[in-house]
Amino acid sequence: MAPPWCLCWALLPALALALLGLAAAAGPRQTPALELAEELAEELWSAGLPGDLPELEPECRSLLAAFAEGSAALTGCLGRRARPVRLCQGCHGHYRRLLAQYDSIARAVGNSSESHNCAKSILTSDRLQIVVTLSEFFNETWEAANCANCLKNSSEGLSNSTEEFLDLFNKSLTCFEHNLQGQVTDLSPNNYTEVCKNCNETYTRLNDLYNHLQRMNRQGGESAHSAHLCIDVEDAMNITRKLWSRTFNCSLPCSDTVPVIAVSSFILFLPIVFYLSSFLHSKQKKRILILPKRIQSNANLVNIQEKYS
Amino acid sequence: MANVAKKVSWSGRDRDDDEDGRAGETTPLLNGTGPGAAGSGRQLTPSPFLRIGQLSNVDLNEEVHELETEVPRQRPNEIPHNEKLLSLKYESLDYDNSENQLFLEEERRINHAAFRTVEIKRWVICAMIGILTGLVACFIDIVVENLAGLKYRVVKDNIDKFTAKGGLSFSLLLWATLNASVVMVGSLIVAFIEPVAAGSGIPQIKCYLNGVKIPHVVRLKGLCYKCPSVPYQAVPTGGLASSMSSLKLPSLLFQIFEYFRRDTEKRDFVSAGAAAGVSAAFGAPVGGVLFSLEEGASFWNQFLTWRIFFASMISTFTLNSVLSVYHGNAWDLSSPGLINFGRFDSEKMGYTIQEIPIFIFMGVVGGILGALFNALNYWLTMFRIRYIHRPCLQVVEAMLVAAVTATVGFVMIYCSRDCQPIQGSSVAYPLQLFCADGEYNSMATAFFNTPEKSVVNLFHDPPGSYNPMTLGMFTLMYFFLACWTYGLTVSAGVFIPSLLIGAAWGRLFGISLAYLTKGSIWADPGKYALMGAAAQLGGIVRMTLSLTVIMMEATGNVTYGFPIMLVLMTAKIVGDYFVEGLYDMHIQLQSVPFLHWEAPVTSHSLTAREVMSTPVTCLRRIERVGTVVDILSDTSSNHNGFPVVESNPDATQVAGLRGLILRSQLIVLLKHKVFVERTNLNLVQRRLKLKDFRDAYPRFPPIQSIHVSQDERECMIDLSEFMNPSPYTVPQEASLPRVFKLFRALGLRHLVVVDNRNEVVGMVTRKDLARYRLGKEGLEELSLAQT
Repeated sequence: MAPPWCLCWALLPALALALLGLAAAAGPRQTPALELAEELAEELWSAGLPGDLPELEPECRSLLAAFAEGSAALTGCLGRRARPVRLCQGCHGHYRRLLAQYDSIARAVGNSSESHNCAKSILTSDRLQIVVTLSEFFNETWEAANCANCLKNSSEGLSNSTEEFLDLFNKSLTCFEHNLQGQVTDLSPNNYTEVCKNCNETYTRLNDLYNHLQRMNRQGGESAHSAHLCIDVEDAMNITRKLWSRTFNCSLPCSDTVPVIAVSSFILFLPIVFYLSSFLHSKQKKRILILPKRIQSNANLVNIQEKYS
Repeated sequence: MANVAKKVSWSGRDRDDDEDGRAGETTPLLNGTGPGAAGSGRQLTPSPFLRIGQLSNVDLNEEVHELETEVPRQRPNEIPHNEKLLSLKYESLDYDNSENQLFLEEERRINHAAFRTVEIKRWVICAMIGILTGLVACFIDIVVENLAGLKYRVVKDNIDKFTAKGGLSFSLLLWATLNASVVMVGSLIVAFIEPVAAGSGIPQIKCYLNGVKIPHVVRLKGLCYKCPSVPYQAVPTGGLASSMSSLKLPSLLFQIFEYFRRDTEKRDFVSAGAAAGVSAAFGAPVGGVLFSLEEGASFWNQFLTWRIFFASMISTFTLNSVLSVYHGNAWDLSSPGLINFGRFDSEKMGYTIQEIPIFIFMGVVGGILGALFNALNYWLTMFRIRYIHRPCLQVVEAMLVAAVTATVGFVMIYCSRDCQPIQGSSVAYPLQLFCADGEYNSMATAFFNTPEKSVVNLFHDPPGSYNPMTLGMFTLMYFFLACWTYGLTVSAGVFIPSLLIGAAWGRLFGISLAYLTKGSIWADPGKYALMGAAAQLGGIVRMTLSLTVIMMEATGNVTYGFPIMLVLMTAKIVGDYFVEGLYDMHIQLQSVPFLHWEAPVTSHSLTAREVMSTPVTCLRRIERVGTVVDILSDTSSNHNGFPVVESNPDATQVAGLRGLILRSQLIVLLKHKVFVERTNLNLVQRRLKLKDFRDAYPRFPPIQSIHVSQDERECMIDLSEFMNPSPYTVPQEASLPRVFKLFRALGLRHLVVVDNRNEVVGMVTRKDLARYRLGKEGLEELSLAQT
């Protein structure tokens, strides 16, 4: 009874530590504790204790380490650029690299035997499948952000329209700043008319460009997902619009109340006139009663009469 | 007499009396209608006229005295239209097969295999009905989608332009004119060319399947005009005016196969068409069959069920295939129906026993609102029938409604300050108006969308995407607009608008429930929107079984089957307590002689003798051609069936019943000049076959078009081999429910009343039976009227 149980006890933490260590080794900075754990694992490995346990070959380990490093870098990048959103501009390099690393894991056959290829041992040999989960997470995030939309097709660098948009965006921001500088002391909400007037042109251009991009995009793809522009552009536009409409209060005022009320009450008045006039002037439709032929019988009348009374 | 008219009339206009008098002098005497009128035929049982027919719920004590004095005065009496009338316009269908000698000969001639091919042909026709219905539905869907899209885009661009520059009143005018002009086209078609295309078509189909021949209802022409007019209505007022129109297709089809030129076959194919129409509209083949069963078919059998099911299956398939090609993903058949209510996530949206009272409550609300809708529509329809009967007025009314719909929409949008972020919402035509950039006016989405899409949005948008205030205003406005729209001379139905109203208040209910329960998980507004939609529609049209299945199939959700049933049953019970269903109401308002399932319960004391019309115009077995022509061309008595009696040289003596012959048969006989003298002289090339009668179907030439010379008038015509030798008869003493049952179950058109010597004393037809109705104060008798 005891030996297998004991072995398990002994091995489990070691194995866990080893894995942890591997992951840590991939990261750019290693804490001393993790290094220690890795060393422990190394020792165990070299001692040949779990000789028959399937363990990673060196090639696979290096691939795994690279993946771990890449994902850490991407996570950092994503986190740092979460607000204001600059994901696609800043992290596309990391993302591309990570994709390549994952690809190489998935495609690596390993050089020993078929049963020990890296794809199998890294990706599918346990329940958790952490590498797959990580890579799925990144892919989904990238998809949700719809970054492909503002990158070039080869996904090297931003596409021209996006560059143009960001240019314009920066221009509007500077315009806002310039015009606000004069009145920076007095920030009461009504004092932004200057901004509205001066930056209107830039803002309108930006808005139009955004709408244009959106329209182009909608024509291009049919699926619901590609209806969005990439998150960077959307967020930039959102910020600007919020500034413009909410903070500066430059959106259009409610206008034309009097003519609208006049026209609508006129139209609403028409049916009343129509119904009244047709009630008063149109001849009421008359039905000509037809006399049916029946046997005259008083019983009939009595019967009906009984029912009525 | 004027007294009666005044009592019956509830508008109580005093001018009636004068007009009455004048009209009486000028209008020619119209003294015969019931199927046994005083033509030039033999009047077997002469009896003075008696105007019992007019006694609709008036004080009879007084009336009896009046009757005695007034009997000699026979002049037409005019009253305003009311619901207690039966129109002469409507005729019955001949469901009863005439088993004359020709028929027996043909049956002998055709062998067993031939009958099997007939059965196969029936299935082929059903398949064709399915295919054509699907195609028509596709056509309507695509046209509606594009036209509506065009309209919303134009108006949106215009509003966007004028929001910046000022002058929004022009946008309002543009929208109103656009709506009105589009409606005008559709309304002109309906009002001037094809009045049958008005409305959803369900009441007409219901009447047709009951055995009432509605003029033009199953003609290709009707469909041809309905198709183009549907999109025009759907665009402004909304409402898939229902591809019910497609049930007109059968008329086209059964003509192809000669054998089916009979009213009975036609009726079956019309039921198949009804099922196929619903099936295509909602992607609900089973719902379609059940709809046909519940609402439509008054006659039903198992073989018919299978054929109808087949037709509705084919229709769904056709629609799906064509639409899949149209939408670009060919042969993807998984998105059925023109109206797809989207999928409910069944994991998230369960229901528990605590919600059952809530559902019942919603059913009650739906029933009350539906009854209110029907009551309002009743008054409106009555007004329309009385005062807005000229086609040009009807077109103007439709245009006004369209313009007002646009105006109400615009004002609501204009006044609404409810802005929702545009990001992540699935709005087709976001209208910004005075909202901040990047946001849209949420009221605008409600009005700027086809109603089907709005319903789907109300079902599935996540909680919080609707402002209760907006939703409340929208529900209120749309309720009245929909009520106002139904019954216009446009082909707009009630299905989708009432679903939309229900979904809106259901969602509102869900939101307030979530608010009251502090945002419990189960208070999902989408679920209550679905229940509200079901309750509202159930409260208006009073369907239960078919509507449950349609809703279940259209949402692809079985989980909600039970709550929907519950809600629909409650709505029906509550609604029936107040007023009857919308379709029945409209049938009644149109004065259609509609036979319900049962005779009025308190009518056992009435006997056939009192119910029947008498005297009856009879023909002798060997009759003079001149007499036949005279009887047929008598405009005052447009009878359709004539009892044939033994030819007795002594005309005064009463003779026994030998058979029944129809007007159509007589006309064919006259047309082919099947006279005894000609046969004797061997002038007739061949014997008349059943085919000759069928070829003339369904439009027999009028008697005026048949020329009979003076000499021929003196010829004799032998009816014995053409008449139906065994017509159904009842004795005089049979009670009304007994007569009714026989008549209704067999789908008869003429029921001869005989005495114990087998002599004809009267004739019972549809209008004689349909005039007895159970009113609020007991048995009522409807009057016959010319409309």
